[in-house]
Amino acid sequence: MARSDDWLLRVDDLSVHFESSKGVAHAVDHVSFDIYPHETLALVGETGCGKSVTARSILRLVPEPPGSYASGSISLRNGDGSVTEILTATERTVRSIRGDRISMIFQDPGKALNPGLTIGRQLAEVFGEHRMSMILGNAGFDPEKPSRTATKIVQQRAGLLERGVYRLTHLRAPKALQKSIDDSVMQALADTGIPNPRKILGSYPHELSGGMKQRVMIAQALACDPDLLIADEPTTALDVTIQARILDLIHEMQQRRGMAILYITHDLSLVRQFADRVAVMYAGRLAEIGPSAGVLASPQHPYTQGLLAAIPRPATPRGQLAAIPGTVPQLIDPPPQCHFASRCSFAASACHQVTPQLLTIADKHDVSCHRFDTASRIDVSPQDMPSAATLGGVASS
Amino acid sequence: MTLLSGSLAADFGGTTDAVVALHGVKVHYPVKEGVLQRVTGQVRAVDGVDLSGPRGQTLGLVGESGCGKTTLGRVIAGLVAPTGGDIWVDVDATQHSEIERLRGVATEDRSPEDQASWKSLESNHRLGSMSRDKQSRYRRNCQVVFQDAFSSLNPRQLVRDIVGRPLRVHKEASGEDLDRRVIELLERVGLDSQHLLRFPHQFSGGQRQRISIARALALNPEFVILDEPTSALDVSVQAQILNLLVDLQKDLGLTYLFITHDLGVVQHMSDRIAVMYLGQIAEYGPTADVFNSPLHPYSRILRDSNPTLEDSLDTVKWDLSGTVPNPVNPPQGCRLHPRCPVARAECGWSIDDVLTDAERNTPVVFETISRVERKSDFRATVSFSEPEQAKKFAKRIGSLAAHEALEQPIRLDDKLVEVSFNEVSEAQLQQLKDGRWSSCTRTQNLGALPEL
Amino acid sequence: MTTLNRSRETSKRAAVARESALSVKWARRREVAQEVFRNPLTVLGLIIIGLFFLMALAAPLLTEANTPDPYQSPRDWSNISVPPGEAGHVLGTDATGGDVLYGIIWGSRLSLQLSLTVVGFTLVFGTIVGSIAAMRGGRLDNLLMRVVDVFLSIPELIFALAIAAVLGPSFRNIILALAAVFWVKYARIVRGEIIRIKQAEYVAAAKVTGDSTWNIYRKDVLPNAVSPLVVQATLDMGNVVLIGATLSFIGLAQAGLTEWGAMVSAGQSGLLAGEWWLSTFAGLAIVLWALAFNLVGDGLRDVLDPKTEGR
Repeated sequence: MARSDDWLLRVDDLSVHFESSKGVAHAVDHVSFDIYPHETLALVGETGCGKSVTARSILRLVPEPPGSYASGSISLRNGDGSVTEILTATERTVRSIRGDRISMIFQDPGKALNPGLTIGRQLAEVFGEHRMSMILGNAGFDPEKPSRTATKIVQQRAGLLERGVYRLTHLRAPKALQKSIDDSVMQALADTGIPNPRKILGSYPHELSGGMKQRVMIAQALACDPDLLIADEPTTALDVTIQARILDLIHEMQQRRGMAILYITHDLSLVRQFADRVAVMYAGRLAEIGPSAGVLASPQHPYTQGLLAAIPRPATPRGQLAAIPGTVPQLIDPPPQCHFASRCSFAASACHQVTPQLLTIADKHDVSCHRFDTASRIDVSPQDMPSAATLGGVASS
Repeated sequence: MTLLSGSLAADFGGTTDAVVALHGVKVHYPVKEGVLQRVTGQVRAVDGVDLSGPRGQTLGLVGESGCGKTTLGRVIAGLVAPTGGDIWVDVDATQHSEIERLRGVATEDRSPEDQASWKSLESNHRLGSMSRDKQSRYRRNCQVVFQDAFSSLNPRQLVRDIVGRPLRVHKEASGEDLDRRVIELLERVGLDSQHLLRFPHQFSGGQRQRISIARALALNPEFVILDEPTSALDVSVQAQILNLLVDLQKDLGLTYLFITHDLGVVQHMSDRIAVMYLGQIAEYGPTADVFNSPLHPYSRILRDSNPTLEDSLDTVKWDLSGTVPNPVNPPQGCRLHPRCPVARAECGWSIDDVLTDAERNTPVVFETISRVERKSDFRATVSFSEPEQAKKFAKRIGSLAAHEALEQPIRLDDKLVEVSFNEVSEAQLQQLKDGRWSSCTRTQNLGALPEL
Repeated sequence: MTTLNRSRETSKRAAVARESALSVKWARRREVAQEVFRNPLTVLGLIIIGLFFLMALAAPLLTEANTPDPYQSPRDWSNISVPPGEAGHVLGTDATGGDVLYGIIWGSRLSLQLSLTVVGFTLVFGTIVGSIAAMRGGRLDNLLMRVVDVFLSIPELIFALAIAAVLGPSFRNIILALAAVFWVKYARIVRGEIIRIKQAEYVAAAKVTGDSTWNIYRKDVLPNAVSPLVVQATLDMGNVVLIGATLSFIGLAQAGLTEWGAMVSAGQSGLLAGEWWLSTFAGLAIVLWALAFNLVGDGLRDVLDPKTEGR
């Protein structure tokens, strides 16, 4: 599989296992892909295919135990060209990456916000951390050498006593500081299209609609100007009219800030509008990865084909949707085979015996299907499936 | 353009009768506040809906969360009692036009024959007035498949008990006969006898939904309400379930009410669709027509927001602004107008609209409002603490579409602003073309959807 | 012909199915039990409880029952306050020559009687009250829950103390007092659970099938509400004995009763004189009893918790 070298984030041979009473579940199974700067990569798949676990692994958020990183590496390229290995880095390094270089927004914005704090307070913490010099500068401080207390106040770390003393000893500074914090938060909220951000500052999460909460989450995630934004089904919990607006907002923010986006979704129809490339996952493995226009127009993996055909379209005669028969296989101690073989109408005996590898079949378009093991042509018909014998030979050599 | 007469519930789309027809159905929930639980308002979950389920067809009911579609489904299923309106069961076209005619006549003006005819209709077809026997026959005849296949099956019962329960309740089968019928039902939905003695948690989402469908079919109903039956499922499994539902409809001649928020699915499944917004039907018509040439801005917005794999991306997309208004106090006139991209003067502006606008878009002005003295929903005097802000407020109204709806020009008197709008009655669903209904006032006037 | 064959085949399969339905349900229960037994602390708790039960059952075999009242220790007036191991008293005697071991053994019978009666009664009564409140709703629900609130606003111990004091000192009155106090918890748990379950779609589905409210309650609502009740009842088996012992300790049981709390109380005066055994052994029995039920209750909670169930 061909990979160029200007990547921002490289996931290489990643496997994530989960221990359970029934055995070891291979949630992510030898997955490799790159994310390039400024691009949007969509990670698509059905429930339990491992897309969310993959995304969480990038921030090392998989709970250990029961989870464990069984193999592979995740590398993040820094501004100076050096590379940080996320899976082996210290907890401290990972935490600084989480806040600074990679942010994440979640499916349920309601759960990601603290119900007991006003939006203003929650965002002030994040902004105090990441926009320190700007906030200090706007408040009339010298951002180069700020006083210790001022720094602590901006970071929302100052205690009640410390703040009280500061208020008594400094004349206008505390007010200016607070105003500067509020202004930067309000500006960020206004950027996400929230009307009347001043009112939002004093609101609690439960007072906001789902779409509004997601906007707040986006403002928070972008506070640090991340190089990579991971959006984990950001609109699944929202209504369709709001979904379009949120996705437009994310897209617009990307244009403005130039970050890369890893967009996790189960909905292939969103991919076309919002992603440059798409990676399709099935049962913990990558089935296909390539430019979204190309993959959607001529999907090569039978699973991608099935997934696309299953979406109801106006032209489909009623009741004749191309459903994929059967269900997703168990991920517990899976046998070495193509996981899709049991549901695949093209499956040959080789598919039940050998795990297919990801093969490049066109420019930046990789597929893991045995049909391409010997043939390098794109238009392969079912008859071209390699026979079990020849495949076995390839595997053993 | 003249409007065609008649009620939407009378529209049978070529078939002769309806399994159920709704007339002005309302579901209002009281809002209680304080220690004494005083009723301070009504949540209008469903607010005056006319609809009919044409026999043998699929009626799609679409709308976003909170529009009342699920509540409406539950009213038809008998799970929620309506607080207003009538539900008619099993009415043919003649009976329907008779009901239509009699509804137009006030009770005291009805002739003795009319009264007798109304009485017989009521006692034979109206839910709530007909005999217990007929009522329970309707209940048997109308079954539901729920959205969440994970919570719609009792986790402590075996599949046999879940699917066989309706048969047992209605004493249709027991013992060996029951097991045999349950196996038949399971085979009908693509499962088999090996699944008989399992608990729901041993199944995948798609299989659970099949069990749910088997249960709904146990009593051989004519009418099945499908309440978001596939929205919790993955797309490949959704396709299996949708195909199964279509097959069952063909084989058993079922009538479906398909409730969903997914436009792609409803387009695939329905013969006709009704688009709901804030407790009311915004548009109703044959599915293809509604999708190709919507007659209500809201249908157009829904269609445009729905991501698809096919449409060209460069067409102008309509967009909804703001958030869903509070169903306790819905907007006057057309309920969509404060968020509508093509709203104009005639759409029903009121005091609440300009206040909401001020709160959202000119918060500084809004904060200086000291008092709002309302004479009606359409007339009020707003006092400000600063004359400057009063001027800004008046200017803002002048720049809105709303200012054309003013009954008289805004009177600005130092800190006071007097606003008075034309009174507008609630937008009504009306037939614009054959079989196509819309509640958009502008579309009704223009005969076509307004341009953006 | 083929259809006939097919239907015959279906009938056969149906018959087989019916026979194994019960076994499937038992298999499920066995699964849950195995899950419970996987936790070593739960097993330890169960063993301790088992030993207490055996002790209570075999009390007349282990010791010769005292006459006329077996719940009074036999007096050995020649050996007053002897330390453990002396003069044939394994755990020593108290200040009136009562055998401590006898007291512990027969005390376990009283503890069992106390906890079973109180928990059994409060479980049933609380479930009935909570069910009526939740199923009926409206004013009745409001009324019942305000009553529950009043009960809950007073600490259990103080409330039980007040009732027992009014009724007069006797072991039976302790049981009555505890029963009057403990039912409210169950009423509240049951009500909360039922209100939650009533929202579930399977209840709506059952209504659509046309089943009666009583059947829906019996088949859908109650079975899904029992898990937290079982956990609470198990924990209360321990708690009731703790509070009961406290009440006897304060002196609300008859004097000389072989109740563990009363024994701790009786041994208290001898503690200063170095006669540690009476209070210590009786106290140990109380602690072990409460600990064992708490271990099992926590173990059950882990297994029966609705969030982890069925996975």
